[in-house]
Amino acid sequence: MVPGNNVFESLSDPIDVIGAFLEGRIQPLRFRWQGRVVRVRKVTGQWSRREGQTVLRYFAVESAAGESYELCYDPRSASWILSRAWTGRSRGQG
Amino acid sequence: MMILLVDMDAFFASVEQAHHPHLRGKPVIVCGDPGRRGVVTAASYEARPSGVRAGMRLQEARRLCPDAEYVEGDPAKYVGLSLQLLDLYTRYSPDVEPFSVDEAFVGLGPEAPTLERAAEIARAIQREIDLRFGLGASIGVGPNKLVAKMASGVEKPRGLTALDPEGFRDVFWPRDIQTMWGVGPKLAERMRSLGIKTVGDLARAPLPLLKSEFGIIGPQLRECAWGEDDTPLVPYHRGLDAKSMGHEVTLAEDCDDRASLEGTLLRLSDQVARRMRGEGYVGRTVTLKLRDHRFVTVLRQRVLPDFTAEAERIYPVARTLLNANWNGAAVRLLGVSVSELARSGEAKQSELFASEDRSQRLREALDRVRDRLGEASVVPLGTLVHRRRLSHVPFGMPQARTPVSRKPDASLGAPAARPGRSARRGRDSGDPP
Repeated sequence: MVPGNNVFESLSDPIDVIGAFLEGRIQPLRFRWQGRVVRVRKVTGQWSRREGQTVLRYFAVESAAGESYELCYDPRSASWILSRAWTGRSRGQG
Repeated sequence: MMILLVDMDAFFASVEQAHHPHLRGKPVIVCGDPGRRGVVTAASYEARPSGVRAGMRLQEARRLCPDAEYVEGDPAKYVGLSLQLLDLYTRYSPDVEPFSVDEAFVGLGPEAPTLERAAEIARAIQREIDLRFGLGASIGVGPNKLVAKMASGVEKPRGLTALDPEGFRDVFWPRDIQTMWGVGPKLAERMRSLGIKTVGDLARAPLPLLKSEFGIIGPQLRECAWGEDDTPLVPYHRGLDAKSMGHEVTLAEDCDDRASLEGTLLRLSDQVARRMRGEGYVGRTVTLKLRDHRFVTVLRQRVLPDFTAEAERIYPVARTLLNANWNGAAVRLLGVSVSELARSGEAKQSELFASEDRSQRLREALDRVRDRLGEASVVPLGTLVHRRRLSHVPFGMPQARTPVSRKPDASLGAPAARPGRSARRGRDSGDPP
């Protein structure tokens, strides 16, 4: 085991998201992952990535519990993916 | 004209700290997969006192800074943010020239007739970057690109340094010769051997000596030492033609398996060819870059009889170069690039055989599929064979395509556990859907 903390889990988990579409912008408000609801306290960053003709929208968010996540909105299927998570606990801890 | 050089402070690490509050104030090291070997891509300012630097082996960084937070870098994120920053700069001036993913020159016109006014605009840009992105930038201001670039490094992070030629001489003449932009370690060593130890020494060095020792660049470097530079600022919407295009990859593990290396070369050749076609270039000189496990690097090139932007022609040359120059030692890094570029219209053959015409139509059709669906939608078969072993060449991150049950759940307040849905992303980000 090497020292140093690998702080993020890289994921590709489909998630359900409740969001607001305000003035042409998307704002994730809460999402469900691993059977629990995560409330978004703050969107800390946004960026996009082109995949062919599609522009995928990414959001870095901080949860009310102080956890960090990165979400991706895919407009082709109007679906969301959780791409990265830092919860300060291992996945097995639920 | 006044010029700014906006240099984002520890860009990749700062982005991760801005996006993830739990990383703020901590030493953060951005790298490839932290679970594997590799090198440090960026280190936050908190990590730097430990001696961690970009380019350092991860193993060494872990030894120096064992308590750091290791974050897998996300190049697409940094490029996306870099483009947003360029947009921000263009609201202050249309003359913006990207210098790297985290640096850009901004040319100011009549709105900034003095150094003081240019510094005010620089301060406004700094504030807006902080407000919108939560990121720090150091900005150099000067009458030309050289002074702006060197001034940007005087005070970091979040520094602002405005210098006129006199100020440039005051600040830089006492400094080591290697602080000159364009003077690397080897050139600095040669200059020191001639008694040129500081920027001021270079400014006062006799022209005949510089000419005889360094050729045409000798006198140019002396002008630079006086803070003089007439390199034009080229706004990115009027970009210069590329000189070469290439891709390289640090393999997930040192590899001495010929078939695996050839599979990787095919992927790299395909990426290079695709990019050339996308940007309307053809080229003639194929270069192979080969770095072994001891960090010994070999660059070998071969000139083609005519121009091409086809992987089918680039790959065999790269493979021949590999076979001729690889001594069997485990390989750490492979790269393929094509230079001697020309615009495809200018170098096009006047007549095509029917078979070439068919190949071209097929290639164009495949390009259209990739344009529409992404790079991972079509890849050469030969690149798939060894992908699991070597993994690292990205064709674009796969997205989970698993159909998701969309039962109405207005509140998300009473979730049902859905164990086993998580799919840890593979290390090979090139998996086609």
